[in-house]
Amino acid sequence: MTAVCVLDPRVDPQPPDWPGFQRASQLHPVWDYELMGLEAWLARNPPLLALVRQAGRIVAAMSVMVCRSWRAPRYAPPPRRRPHWPRPLWAEVYQPWLSGFPGVVFAPGLDQDGRRAAARAVERALPRRLGPGLLGLLYRAIGADLVPVLAGRGRLVRRTDPAAVLDNRFATEEEWLASLSKSRRGGLRRQQRALAADPTLVIRGGPGRDDLDAVAIAHLINRHRAGFGRLPMDPRTPVAAAYLDRFLRRPDVHTLTYHDQDGRLLAVHTMLDHPHTPVSQHWAALREADGGRPNLYFDNCVRAVRYTVRHGRARLSSGRGLLDVKRTLGFATRAVYSVAVPRPVMGG
Amino acid sequence: MWTSGVNALWRAAYRRAVRSAFATVPLYRERWALGGRTDPVVVPGRTGTHGGAITAEEAVRKVVDLVPLAGGAASPDPARGLGHVLPLARPPRPGTLVVVVDPAIPRPPTDLPNTLRGCVLDPASLTGGTRPAALDEVVTALRRNGNVTAVGPDEAIAALVAALPEDLAHRVDRLPHRALDRLDGGPFGLIHDPVLGYLGGIGHCGRWHLDWPRVYARRTTGGLALTLLRQSSPRLVDILVAGGVRGEVAPCPRHGTPVVLT
Ligand SMILES: [Zn+2]
Repeated sequence: MTAVCVLDPRVDPQPPDWPGFQRASQLHPVWDYELMGLEAWLARNPPLLALVRQAGRIVAAMSVMVCRSWRAPRYAPPPRRRPHWPRPLWAEVYQPWLSGFPGVVFAPGLDQDGRRAAARAVERALPRRLGPGLLGLLYRAIGADLVPVLAGRGRLVRRTDPAAVLDNRFATEEEWLASLSKSRRGGLRRQQRALAADPTLVIRGGPGRDDLDAVAIAHLINRHRAGFGRLPMDPRTPVAAAYLDRFLRRPDVHTLTYHDQDGRLLAVHTMLDHPHTPVSQHWAALREADGGRPNLYFDNCVRAVRYTVRHGRARLSSGRGLLDVKRTLGFATRAVYSVAVPRPVMGG
Repeated sequence: MWTSGVNALWRAAYRRAVRSAFATVPLYRERWALGGRTDPVVVPGRTGTHGGAITAEEAVRKVVDLVPLAGGAASPDPARGLGHVLPLARPPRPGTLVVVVDPAIPRPPTDLPNTLRGCVLDPASLTGGTRPAALDEVVTALRRNGNVTAVGPDEAIAALVAALPEDLAHRVDRLPHRALDRLDGGPFGLIHDPVLGYLGGIGHCGRWHLDWPRVYARRTTGGLALTLLRQSSPRLVDILVAGGVRGEVAPCPRHGTPVVLT
């Protein structure tokens, strides 16, 4: 017996079995129900959480963004106020702040047929929830393993920008450095010495920080995103300070900050810790023309790799963008796909 | 008695401002969606603290989050509204030179009517070595028998007047700033706030009138909360000014438009 429930984390209480599923499936902290509720309130295209249960146990979960526009400078209408006439909208299965990962997760041990059935069950439930204006569904950032599960007749599979991953084959940071080209290795060492000797730079990092100015961090991230690195047709909203304020205090979220002597935020990096695959999440820096410093990006990469190696994590995921630079740091690319499902074939 | 319809129009404009801020401005979205607000409530069951109002200090600290998603200016204009409160408080004759003397107002007002000229004068420059150009402008205007209105805190106006030749000093019309928590008996005065700008002034009736087409005020448990109804960015809605001032908003018995009683 398969049951689907679609929750609006803005108003629906957290299902009692959700935290257990999160732990068992080792989901990244962005899947926290309360955080999804915060994100939903502060989004133009807010996520719903769709759960599939079999015999009363969760077997699949989807973060489904309800999208009305890529550009409209407005937040989503409040929950449950249905328009009188159907307005066009589409759904994206996507975790907005987890680059390179899909917005769908399955219980460990569920086979490909079970996964396909669970995804189709959500696809059949969504039109009931979202109404006749629903145009279709887009699965973003799907790995090659899930393509056969989600592809099918009438569905469009497209390869998109790959994600960068560093497989941790290293016992020490030195081993990692030794695996890089001579010029990159020398460059990193020189930069590390220069940064360490720079008395005008204050670098602080660690998990669960409560000493941060979320407004300044949100501003820097949004400025950076607006400047470059923005995806075409990005359904996401600028990062909200209230979200970061809660998020950065979590013990599994590491924040690295670079300030100048006057306390001005120069750059910030957030990393989501995970037993296997920590994720480099946000990187944002002031441009040099605005008072930013060179080479901080490399420093943040070195620190993220150092953490991964020291704590024996299997790999470091670093999202999309700057792939050429990441390659010189030992990252490989993992193919990522999107699957578009027009309304008539949803559930089929 | 409210002049017929003023209160309804005023409240409707305020409700539109609240709805728009909730739909487009990050800080209000966060505050009212997660905490709540009153009058109007935007999320059923959530009423927030101080009716959802925020302090002026917080507004300044988080001003980047007062810019709507569509973008806009990220710094408040402390000279905003001067052109609209002057006719209310001390209607200037055409051709009057309006000189703003306030160290907190560095840029000239942009909303004066075409018939007036405006300039700013930093009172600190009056005691410095070089004579500020704006002072010469004031002297020239007075020598030509023109009208000059000085706007600013008492001590700044006094410094300006003291810097003028004795025969001209008495011809300057004074229009002092008053913070919302320092409203006095007049006879002249403007309600000024360093973040929201000019909010109102003493009318002919001797009461402190709000510039109601542009400024809304309501009582909250944190004090009077003020809203700029027409400024799109930074959006200033329900701001507790001057540390939160107890007071009331009522119709002027003579004019039927809103006055503040503190
Ligand atoms: Zn009156």
